[in-house]
Amino acid sequence: MTGMPRAVIVCPGRGSYTAASLGSLPADHPIVPRAEQLRSEYGLEPLLELDGVPRFDPARHLRPANASPLIFLTSLLDAEQAAADHSITAVIGNSLGWYSALAVAGALPFDDAFRLVQEMAIFQEEALGDGGQGGQVIYPLLDAEWAPVPDLRAAVSDVLTDGPGTGGRVFESIDLGGYVVLAGDERGVAHLLDRLPPVRIGERLVALRLALHGPYHTPLVEHVAELAADRLGNLRWQRPTVTLIDGRGACWSPWSTDPGALRDYTLGEQVTTPFRFAVSLRVALREHAPDVLVLPGPGNSLGGICGQLVVIEGYRGIRTRAEFEETQRSTAPVVLSMRR
Amino acid sequence: MTFDRVAIVEQALDGYLAQAIPGVASLSPDAPLRAGSSSTARRAVELFEDQVTSRAVDVAARELKKTNRSFYTISSAGHENNAVLGALLRITDPAFLHYRSGGLFMARARQLPGSTPAFDALLGVVASRDEPIAQGRHKVWGSRPLWMPPQTSTIASHLPKAMGLAFSLARARRLGIAGGLPSDAVVLCSFGDASANHATALSAINTARYAVRIGLPMPILFVCEDNRTGISVPTPEGWIADTFANQPHLRYMLAEGEIDQIWDTAAQAVHYVRSARQPAFLHLPTVRLWGHAGSDAEHAYRSAAEIAQNEAGDPLLRNARRLIETGGATPDELIALVEDARQRVMAAAEEATRRPRLETTQEVVAPMAPYHPARVAERASHPVLPAGERTMAFSGALPEDATAPTARTLAGNLNAALTDELARRPELILFGQDVARKGGVYNVTNGLQKRFGAGRVFDTLLDETSILGIAQGAAHIGLLPLPEIQYLAYIHNALDQLRGEAATLQFFSSGQFRNPMVVRVPGLAYQKGFGGHFHNDNSVGALRDIPGLVLAVPARGDDAARMLRGAIAMAAEDGRVVVFLEPIALYHEKDLHAEGDGGWLTDYPPPPAHLLPGEPGIYEIDGSPSPDLLIVSYANGLRLSLQAQRRLAADHGVLARVLDLRWLNPLPTESLRQQTGQVSAVLVVDECRRTGAGVADSIIADLAESGATQRLTSVRAVDSFVPLGPATSTVLVGTEQVVAAALAAVGERASAAS
Repeated sequence: MTGMPRAVIVCPGRGSYTAASLGSLPADHPIVPRAEQLRSEYGLEPLLELDGVPRFDPARHLRPANASPLIFLTSLLDAEQAAADHSITAVIGNSLGWYSALAVAGALPFDDAFRLVQEMAIFQEEALGDGGQGGQVIYPLLDAEWAPVPDLRAAVSDVLTDGPGTGGRVFESIDLGGYVVLAGDERGVAHLLDRLPPVRIGERLVALRLALHGPYHTPLVEHVAELAADRLGNLRWQRPTVTLIDGRGACWSPWSTDPGALRDYTLGEQVTTPFRFAVSLRVALREHAPDVLVLPGPGNSLGGICGQLVVIEGYRGIRTRAEFEETQRSTAPVVLSMRR
Repeated sequence: MTFDRVAIVEQALDGYLAQAIPGVASLSPDAPLRAGSSSTARRAVELFEDQVTSRAVDVAARELKKTNRSFYTISSAGHENNAVLGALLRITDPAFLHYRSGGLFMARARQLPGSTPAFDALLGVVASRDEPIAQGRHKVWGSRPLWMPPQTSTIASHLPKAMGLAFSLARARRLGIAGGLPSDAVVLCSFGDASANHATALSAINTARYAVRIGLPMPILFVCEDNRTGISVPTPEGWIADTFANQPHLRYMLAEGEIDQIWDTAAQAVHYVRSARQPAFLHLPTVRLWGHAGSDAEHAYRSAAEIAQNEAGDPLLRNARRLIETGGATPDELIALVEDARQRVMAAAEEATRRPRLETTQEVVAPMAPYHPARVAERASHPVLPAGERTMAFSGALPEDATAPTARTLAGNLNAALTDELARRPELILFGQDVARKGGVYNVTNGLQKRFGAGRVFDTLLDETSILGIAQGAAHIGLLPLPEIQYLAYIHNALDQLRGEAATLQFFSSGQFRNPMVVRVPGLAYQKGFGGHFHNDNSVGALRDIPGLVLAVPARGDDAARMLRGAIAMAAEDGRVVVFLEPIALYHEKDLHAEGDGGWLTDYPPPPAHLLPGEPGIYEIDGSPSPDLLIVSYANGLRLSLQAQRRLAADHGVLARVLDLRWLNPLPTESLRQQTGQVSAVLVVDECRRTGAGVADSIIADLAESGATQRLTSVRAVDSFVPLGPATSTVLVGTEQVVAAALAAVGERASAAS
């Protein structure tokens, strides 16, 4: 193991599978057919079929029940590849990426991890099914040079404090460091989109509602946790083979992890309380000080977000966007994205 | 013999693990490590992780030292069994820790997800500004979210405040102030065996026991980490047990043996303190590896055999063996665990060296003496009590409404001002020896206990260290203490409680912890020959020397009332530590120039009137706008100066303006410079001893350095202890002396100009 770069694996979340991700799955890798076999039990269309179509269809590809396993499988295969030439010191993930991380770190056998991902996605769809059950809205906290903009933070704080009024609810959902993901019921989402001052990022104006995303990591999805407790009680949780850092920044080591506690967190607190990806990455950078952050696919949705967090942290002395980009062009980049 | 004992100890563990044979049967992680123990195998592995991480931090600190990239090498190596306390106590149990608390810190931080204890500790050893509590001002074990006020002391001076916090917990709750702590919180306070001999340690333990004796709760766990050595001096065999095992009102427990036995004993101790609300003394034998610090050459005072024998007691080695022999872990698991910790900690250490350090004076001193005058003024003016409540606090008669006479003494004004403050600020508590039932030696606190109850106004035992310890502990959880030290000379008995502890808290916690307080101290001389030197001490040098400490010295009653409000507001708003020095000889003085003139009595200024530093008092003889001379003074000296002012005008035609400093720290430097510009000579009348005991040196130096061309001169007390009886006048400044010095200053100036 020594001699290889020390790496933290960072698994992406639900927004990571995009048009560019089509054709990610290697049909010849043995876990792909196994996944297809497991998936067939749910009567859902085969992943290879979804992954193999020539045109990306948002309604089809972004469905939780489709996107989640596609992302999970891609991440898992990429992470396996990364492990061949890195010494993995810790694994983290963002939101759905936490489930991928569990599999990468061996805290669940493949079959059980797949079931977790697939069924959680189905539970989420059940919630979305009635329509109007709320969603997530992403909003930036930094300027184009990745310096904090206090007014944006203040706007977020205001919009959370000064809620949407009777019948509406808003919450913090995911802390990405450079961005925050807020969530709410439909009235809450409308309030967020209405009240957050628009910010131009590239060609887009945000706040932006995330397509086909529910109000994850909030009390609004309490029923998902209940379903999980009810239907996923028999997953075979075990101690991970490498340290996991969860969405609170708690560490789960290969030697002292209580698998029952890991299950309780994953199916409970993790579902209904804010997922603090920024904290988990900060803990990884500080307590593990890796040579590199390896980002498995699909896509590179966490590339910029990890870059921002590196800058916020001042990791390896990198304190600006320009310094980060310069490091990325060097022979020792701090973020290694496996896909683009 | 090699001196790289770090490598030897590391190799001993590695060597053991490499050849260790797995236990006969593996233990379920949820099974107790030993039948009947409350420590499971998993818990023991968790502790081992924390201990190994702590050890890796110590190794990294020494490694970085080789290239001068770390600045602190006092390690926790050999003390890591204190991790059990990190796991057994809650993060809402305030912890005041020994400097070898790495294991404890790692285990405690585990309770708060998102913590980065190894990196935080490394940031400390490299003195980085990113270190979350002290920001590089010292290597400490501290954390706001983990309720660990940072300790820098190596001389047990943190025990009194830990005791003080335990003393204050229930009291604060009764006053509706919980400081965010639950009702069953306990205080943890750890220290070494050699430190247990310090007066401060003995004082705190004594007061803890005393509290039990008088029926007060005292939920504190004293932990003595006994490595049987104080730097190079061995602690006598059995000393700690012999000294502390049989003290009344102190439950002694010895946590020895295997890690699970240590765990069980510590668990019992914690349970005892939490449920009985009484103090316990947990004796935790440890070993000290690698000398006192990196610079300590242990072989100079210990034989090679002794060093090796000590190292054989390495708790990591022993705990690894215990885990393997019980089947709680396999050798391979522990090898991987150790390797993982070493790798990530060494990498984190390199990262820590890249983090920024404090670079400017401004950055360093920023949290030391915060002062926001506008907010302090606002705080001094509020809250305003409804008239009815205020009247009730004064038993129906407001002091400003008094008739025949309207004016009061200094003591009377202070008593009224304390009444007003206690009435409008529920977080205030007032205590010290004799302040409650007796009402103070000089009646300044007369009637306050009756009005505000024994929960807020109470007598303490006669121990200045504990009085200031109680003040600090109470202030940590949101009370605003007004402790009284009975005489100025007595403060020296406990000065380090102000100097090394109270005044440093904001500095070393970057303002995250504070212990606001106003310490009332009757003092200075001129008690008409009464009392001798202990009751007539005339030195404030030791107080003025403390960075950030505010020193208020009122002379007149109306000033005293207004300054007290300013002092309390500075404490409340900016967390400042204020010493409020009250001139005893002026407490009951009525007259200024002649017997019966009532010139030293003043009307009581009701709230919100207040005074803040930088606001001196100016006294002129009516109709003399262009003085010849500025006389600068304070306290008793003000009265002498005012007497001299009248005689200079009447007998010599010399016009003097008198300036009362009011605050001796910080000095009203701007006013002094400005006033000096309007005269031809300055005379400082300093009633403290000539050599550095007062403020004359500072004032004259500042004026000289600021380019003043005026004649600068002073009169001061003689460098002597104050004698008993009429002989006092031979060493203290008198009015005649002030007049003579003033004439000399003006005269010389006049002749130099002609």
